Amino acid sequence: MPVFKLCLKIFIKKLPIIMIYVSLFLVISLLIAGATKTDREKGFVQTKTNIAIINYDQSPLVTGLINGLKEIAHIVPLEDEPSTLQDALYYRKVTYILRIPEDFTEKFLAGDEVWIEKTGIPNSIDAIYVDLQVNQYLRIAGLYKSQSHIDSAMIAQHIQKDMENETKVNFSGGEEVQQDQSYAMFYYNYLAYSLFSVLILGISTIILVFKNQDLRRRNACSPISAGSSNFQFILANGVYAVICWAIMVGFCILFDYKNSNTPNTLLFLLNSFVFTLCAVSISFLVGNLVKNQDGISALTNVIALGPSFISGVFVPQEFIGENVLKIASFTPTYWYVKANNTIANLNSFDMDSLRETMGYTGVVLGFAIAFLALALVVGKKKQLSQEA
Amino acid sequence: MFIHIFKYRFKSLIRNKSMIFWTMVFPLLLATFFSLAFSGLNEHEQFKTINIGIIDDANYQSDIAFQELIQSLSQEEEPMFAAFLMHENEAKEKLVSNRIDGFINVGSPMILTVHQRGFNQSVIKLFLDQYSQTYSAIINIIEGDMTLVHGLVTSLEEGTVYTKEFQLSKAKPDNTLMYFYALIAMSCLYGSFFGLREVIDIQADQSPHAARVNLSPVHKLKAFIYSGASSVLIHTTELMVLLAYLHFGLGIDFGHQYGFVVFTTFLGSVVGITMGALVGVVVKGGEGIKYAICIGVSMLGSFLGGMMYGDMKYIIDQHVPIVGRLNPINVLADAFYALYYYDDYERYSMNVMNLIIFILIFSIITYRIIRREKYASI
Repeated sequence: MPVFKLCLKIFIKKLPIIMIYVSLFLVISLLIAGATKTDREKGFVQTKTNIAIINYDQSPLVTGLINGLKEIAHIVPLEDEPSTLQDALYYRKVTYILRIPEDFTEKFLAGDEVWIEKTGIPNSIDAIYVDLQVNQYLRIAGLYKSQSHIDSAMIAQHIQKDMENETKVNFSGGEEVQQDQSYAMFYYNYLAYSLFSVLILGISTIILVFKNQDLRRRNACSPISAGSSNFQFILANGVYAVICWAIMVGFCILFDYKNSNTPNTLLFLLNSFVFTLCAVSISFLVGNLVKNQDGISALTNVIALGPSFISGVFVPQEFIGENVLKIASFTPTYWYVKANNTIANLNSFDMDSLRETMGYTGVVLGFAIAFLALALVVGKKKQLSQEA
Repeated sequence: MFIHIFKYRFKSLIRNKSMIFWTMVFPLLLATFFSLAFSGLNEHEQFKTINIGIIDDANYQSDIAFQELIQSLSQEEEPMFAAFLMHENEAKEKLVSNRIDGFINVGSPMILTVHQRGFNQSVIKLFLDQYSQTYSAIINIIEGDMTLVHGLVTSLEEGTVYTKEFQLSKAKPDNTLMYFYALIAMSCLYGSFFGLREVIDIQADQSPHAARVNLSPVHKLKAFIYSGASSVLIHTTELMVLLAYLHFGLGIDFGHQYGFVVFTTFLGSVVGITMGALVGVVVKGGEGIKYAICIGVSMLGSFLGGMMYGDMKYIIDQHVPIVGRLNPINVLADAFYALYYYDDYERYSMNVMNLIIFILIFSIITYRIIRREKYASI
């Protein structure tokens, strides 16, 4: 099988570049895996936001306020240095900074106008959340203040008691997902960029080599039938695609082996395989369109990176604007990512629950067929014009 | 002589399509992708009215205080809650379909039913907690002294606000900007492709073109500086196009010191080009390896400077600030950040000094290696 062998030789020559993509991908996946530790507590838990408190007043009233805030926030210790605070706020290490002045309690009890300075992200939900608690505490303190003979410690004591009144929360949420599929979801979504790049790079390079007119003529007069030559060519590309796919998904199962023994994994595999087919047909098209190697690396970045950005590979779909998602829905990546996101949240595997994912995977398959047809048409046209 | 070399160098450089793609078209595309992907990110953080259901039963009908509270809340301009009266079955259905975040069974204690955990649900709970806490406080106080009740009601109605907004900076802490700043920095460092090209075309052992140039009766350093000038011009122009596109096309905020922004970008371009030149003279090996090193340095630098993952820059700044200082992309991105977000120039000037040091180191080493290089045979 000389054609098959030739293709493999070209792939091996491309190996260093492909290895860069693969290893970059693995490193990033590992980093993210470390960052995504989801809490797995059951039932309702009060959400906590990160805040910083710069406190210059050590009275019992203020201590009580800070304890009250601990119910709804994690308090991050920060130095009172403008640049430290600014940076922390910018990078959302804290979402709210409170500055309690030295004479706060004194003035508060005396009935003078007094404020706690707050710095937050304007109009953000975090800021409103903390605001609610701060003002509530001080309003109740204000009520107690109207009693005669009361000092800051007593007020704090009273409020602490009042705060024990808690609302009962019923949590009607469905059963928790048994396995944590968030790592797998991220990993498979990210394949839309890495696997796609690797496939375009390899396959279109080969097509480019075979497109060379002299080479084509030389091949045409060899004692191998066109059918056999084409078959070997397709086989080589298929083998390449399957090997790339197997290596990449293999690492996911290796890294995430604890959660891999589930039906979800099978669905992920199926979905990513269909996406691989789609990437192969797009690579065929690219190979037929570009003129030289420079063009391939440029197009790889545009075709693999662009849809990844707008389809939710890097930034989750729920954070992306509606109109952008509408544009994205014209790319197979969007449907692939959507299928992955659905698979990650699947608990039951009867026909009804699978219908949605299968629908999305089906759309990807449709794209694969459409691009393949397009690639064949373009390829044939170019070939004819070359021979003419 | 300057005009001649400059002009032909310029022509030959702008015909190098692949270089123009990577240094101009690619950053423009990436900027567009960024802006599309981040389109909903800031909005996501913004507070939106929370929809709650209230079970319309005898308990609710008899709790007049709570009714009034709910009504007063819904009447504000940007209400915190939109409350709907409904029956329990309807509420359960709406809860599952996410049309309300929770529903309330009025009573003592109040019962909140939610379907998932989250901020909105926590806000509702906090709100209900506060209602019962205030109630408990009032009971507590009037138990001691009945006469205080009137004062309490007025003070509650006042709804005193004890917090006051205090901004640390005039600029909004919009953390998606960092990605764009890092992107500009990366494009600056892509100038290294130009610098590399310059060296390859002037060092006689690296290309036939350079061998020919070395034969001509032009002082080598002059030829290098003249052709380098056209690289700087092209690259700076490309970066200006990028800046204009970011600012006018995508609405990226750079603060108000446009002069400084342009100056920083120019410095960045020179850092990139001199870095490329340095790689060209120091690294032995083929063109491929030199380009790979330039790309590798830019990519690693962009990653550490927060272009792929925004928090990376903060992590580096907090734990290993020296790595940040040594990374040109981080320094450039930080300069833009300082211009946008800081009201003084201390941090900005430190970054500019840092950039100038880069330029000096890169150019001095390059100069020491390429000057007076003679070839007995190539």
